Amino acid sequence: MLAFKQNMEERRQIVLRRIMHFIFYLFLASLCILFLFPVVWMVMNSFKSQEEVYATMSSWLTFLPSTWNITKWFDSYVKLFTTFDDFGRSIINSIIYCAVTITGILIINSFAGYALARFVFPGHKVLVTIIILLLIVPVETSIVPTYIILKNLGLLRTQFRVIGYLLPGLVSPMYIFMFRAYFLSIPKELEEAAYMDGCGKLKTYFTVIMPCCKPVFATVAIFAFMGQWNEYVFAQLMFSNPSLQPLQVYLQLVNNFNPKDISMVMASLTFSTVPIALVYIFCQRYIVEGVAFSGLK
Amino acid sequence: MIFSKKSGGLSESRKKRLMRGRNKKAYFKLFGKSYNKNESVIGIAFMTPAVVLGLIFTILPMLISLSYAFTDAYMLDLTKAKWTGFENFIRLFGDTVLWKALVNTAIFVVIAVPVQLGIALGLALILNIKTLRCNTFFRWAFFCPVMLSLAVTSMLWMNLMDYNDGLINTLLESIGLGRQLFLKSETQALYVIIFISVWQGAGYQMLIFLSGLKNIPPELYEAASLDGASKVKQFFSITLPAIKPTFSYVMVTTLIGAFRLITQPMIMTGGGPLNSTLTMSYYIYLQGVKYWDVGYSSAIALFYTIIMSAVALTLRKITGGDNTGEG
Repeated sequence: MLAFKQNMEERRQIVLRRIMHFIFYLFLASLCILFLFPVVWMVMNSFKSQEEVYATMSSWLTFLPSTWNITKWFDSYVKLFTTFDDFGRSIINSIIYCAVTITGILIINSFAGYALARFVFPGHKVLVTIIILLLIVPVETSIVPTYIILKNLGLLRTQFRVIGYLLPGLVSPMYIFMFRAYFLSIPKELEEAAYMDGCGKLKTYFTVIMPCCKPVFATVAIFAFMGQWNEYVFAQLMFSNPSLQPLQVYLQLVNNFNPKDISMVMASLTFSTVPIALVYIFCQRYIVEGVAFSGLK
Repeated sequence: MIFSKKSGGLSESRKKRLMRGRNKKAYFKLFGKSYNKNESVIGIAFMTPAVVLGLIFTILPMLISLSYAFTDAYMLDLTKAKWTGFENFIRLFGDTVLWKALVNTAIFVVIAVPVQLGIALGLALILNIKTLRCNTFFRWAFFCPVMLSLAVTSMLWMNLMDYNDGLINTLLESIGLGRQLFLKSETQALYVIIFISVWQGAGYQMLIFLSGLKNIPPELYEAASLDGASKVKQFFSITLPAIKPTFSYVMVTTLIGAFRLITQPMIMTGGGPLNSTLTMSYYIYLQGVKYWDVGYSSAIALFYTIIMSAVALTLRKITGGDNTGEG
């Protein structure tokens, strides 16, 4: 009898735990839905036609593609490229801007980080202090003064606008700091061996330092890519001409176009997200490491 | 034989130069400190591109902002700017739109930052449970919105919350709650923007917290449970102290990001309706770029920098002081 009672008690415990688990997972699942449904909806409705989007909106079908014929899915994408002449152009613009920015950021900031990590020169201390101050004190440098400087430099003229748009983003105290921290952590002997072999400083830099410090270069490149690809505010100020606009600004044109085709809007939004999604999926490790480089040690 | 000179070690002149560099270490003095000449030249050469660009596009904008704040500079003809002393700052205190923007930003910061960090930390703690099923799926699900850019997030939610054709209003009507104005409502718009920002940003902080939690050595927990410490006690005496630096860093960056809110209102509401979603950054931008009142815009920027720095530095002090990694 006692054994039976104990058994009952145990079973009650197990059932209780099961129920708790069930509630817990239900809670997690509903949170998941909250986080996921807009993204799923965006992707799925980009696979439909305008009519199908509105026809299915009031049922669960709104989260499913209307047809399982995959070739039909991309109709709205084709329509997007044919309706908006400059959509393809804006993608190319975005890619060019990203390529230039990443290259520039990697070279300029890593040079600076290297100089601050390895050489003592007049102004060394001052520069380190300034960089750290810039990281700590949040200065509201709105783009207004930058715009004025570009105006005075003549970089707002049509033929130089792209340069004017890209130049201000090339130096960042954050990236210099990340590079410096990484370079400080690698042994000095590495380069000294190269000097002994008669390598110049610049050659040593490109043949010894860069290959040794791939992680920090990868991290900064990824951060720079995401920053540039997603940049919106400055681009929409600089480019009123659609043929120069990067994708993020051009999306606005698709979104505000009258008559609105919601499937086309969703297609454009999905399309612009794919590169970032790929970066996150394949390089998540570097992003997490990057946060570690940039502040937590 | 021809190649021997190039491929076989150093050329004669090169060797000489190297030797000279090593033997005669040239030093020079500046402000009572001595520097190696060679090293200085190379260091400065490596530093130059960053210093030039940094001076032009980081330091100079600050100086311009600082000096124009005391003038009546007008975008179309900046040469005519006249010194007006503190006039801009006097105007600033009487500007009701500015106070509206400041209050909006404050509401955004005070609600969005704690909620976002709380959700992120909660999710990270849940995902850190070893026995959790579908761990990877949950992680990617919560992380999914981070992949959308701010512009995409804004436009997506604009469409979702559209009064006539939006998914959410269709849903609300079908369950009998009635359609909501959301972004077109003076009372709801700001809170909608807060919700959207939290939705978009929480996954990123979750990921950072999660990596912080994963770095805590499991031996600590084992030792604690051997000593009979409860899970709650373990959380407060092991987990929290261990992720404090992470938390402090994430909090300050999130806070500064929240202070600089501009993209979402710019795309979704244009600051409206009735300035209910106007933020400080956006107001500074509008004053400078739309109304061309560079002087006033600079004055607000200066005023705002002081507020922002004060808050950020205070929080940094409270939550663990130094976290830039520098001594």
